[in-house]
Amino acid sequence: MLSIKILGSGCPNCKKLEQITHNVIEQLGVQAEVIKVTDPTKFAEYGAMATPGLVINEKLCCSGRIPSPTEINSYITSALS
Amino acid sequence: MSSTNTFSYPNIIKGYLITMILDFSIDLLHSGLGNLAAYLAAHVLLCLLPAFLIAGAMTALIPKETITRFLGRSTPKIISYPASAAAGFLLAVCSCTVIPLFAGIYKKGAGLGPAITFLFVAPAVNILALSYTGTVIGFDLAIARFVLSISFGFGIGILMAFIFHKDDAEHDQATDAMFAGQASMRRPVVIFLLLLVALLVVGTFQIDFLKQTIFQINLPFNSINHYEEFLFKLVPFDPTKGEEGVTAQGTLLIFMLILIGISSWKGIESIFDGFNTWTWISVTLVGLTLLIASIIINPHVGGLNILFPGKFFGVLLINLLLGWMLKTQLTEDESRDFLWESWRFVKQIFPLLVVGVFVVGMIRVLIRPEWIQSIAGSNTILGNFVGVVFGVFMYFPTLVEVPIAQMFLNLGMHRGPLLAYLISDPELSLQSILITISIIGRLKTWVYVGWVALFSTLAGLIYGAWVNGASLGLVSLYLLTILAIFSLSLWLINRQNFSKKIMVQ
Repeated sequence: MLSIKILGSGCPNCKKLEQITHNVIEQLGVQAEVIKVTDPTKFAEYGAMATPGLVINEKLCCSGRIPSPTEINSYITSALS
Repeated sequence: MSSTNTFSYPNIIKGYLITMILDFSIDLLHSGLGNLAAYLAAHVLLCLLPAFLIAGAMTALIPKETITRFLGRSTPKIISYPASAAAGFLLAVCSCTVIPLFAGIYKKGAGLGPAITFLFVAPAVNILALSYTGTVIGFDLAIARFVLSISFGFGIGILMAFIFHKDDAEHDQATDAMFAGQASMRRPVVIFLLLLVALLVVGTFQIDFLKQTIFQINLPFNSINHYEEFLFKLVPFDPTKGEEGVTAQGTLLIFMLILIGISSWKGIESIFDGFNTWTWISVTLVGLTLLIASIIINPHVGGLNILFPGKFFGVLLINLLLGWMLKTQLTEDESRDFLWESWRFVKQIFPLLVVGVFVVGMIRVLIRPEWIQSIAGSNTILGNFVGVVFGVFMYFPTLVEVPIAQMFLNLGMHRGPLLAYLISDPELSLQSILITISIIGRLKTWVYVGWVALFSTLAGLIYGAWVNGASLGLVSLYLLTILAIFSLSLWLINRQNFSKKIMVQ
């Protein structure tokens, strides 16, 4: 099962990313656990210097912006393969 | 006679009290609504609309790596301090960026000093606050806020690095991997950003050439005149108190704002599912609104006089260029992120600003000018300090500090204490202090808070002296005294722990 983490202190962009990620997971029909990380001291540990951040299987995929659904899709597929 | 006898004495008082309270609440409501309408119509549009677009573009289009690569551990301090200030200005338009970037610089990057510089500069000099302060209160104050915040940001950062240099040296020796990324901006993106800045400059700066009327037309609509008279009756105003009325043009602009809101809600809220017609309607409406705001409409008896100043043609040209670039020169991702970020800022800040302006309008009726004048009417240490304390303990949403400052100014506050308040208010709040504690610990945070309070007071004092017409000599004497206190404290700290040093070049 995939472990997906959304880094963000609760700003609108983090919620948007979470929502888009959920949509992508549903479309792909993969099993994934989505966890929200809100503690700012944890962000630096993943190497994210701006929120929102997307972490898949403990690896930071992108940060500081909202990736498009296609982009998230490709992150997830490459993490699965 | 007999009818008055049916009322008992306490009842008359009760009735009188009720009418008084009613009158009073209507007064409050009137003042609040008047303030709101005047702000929406006059100040907001030509400065805030482009400012929101710039903020959105900076967040969406400037890659963080262009600046963060100067914030690694191996970068010389002489570069990392200015880079931190630049990051504060360019990258940190909202708190979503401030906190993670601050934690990143502190834990894995250049260390406590540059992190503190960043933390200090970011809220004080963001583009929205600066352009808003400039239009509402005056560009002198906006420039003072910019210059003093940046120079004192360096000061506080360097001081903190010296005070806690032992802790910093023991800090986890992370690799610079996080700061190694390189990125450059494509040329169209840079031009797009510059055009947005030009839009703000042309719209807001009072340049003679731009204010000159190029041509005018007369329309025979005399009903507009009556409409405006009706508006002035509805929202009465007193120019001597610094109040502004609502004009016919103002109501048109408010109407446009509502249309922009509706079309953005339909076209940009769901932009991650793709662009739709509403997206482009919204973009067009923004351009139109800026154009309407740049003309001058004078209703008079017998007609309507419309003046087209140089500004109008500037805004028109820039609007067309921006629209063309947005459609053809930026990639779809860039356009989408830009529109989304701008809209997000509007959504996040604008509703609170509207409520804030309304409440400020109501409170204004309650405050006696004598109170403000006796405490902060002149440029004293106490006056500046009171400004700072008020700024620290009161928490206002982003940008609301500006209408509040304008209210104080109109009530007789001196510009010195006003600047002290404007610097400290966005800088410190109970909430931001708590988050900072979670990242750098209690001791460092309180030392930082102390420095911010001291420096904001000093900033107010120095600027106040300048406003009072102090000679350059006196102002530099002030600055020299501060530098002396600086060096003395540095020397004392150095003497205490000279065993280990981190040189700050």
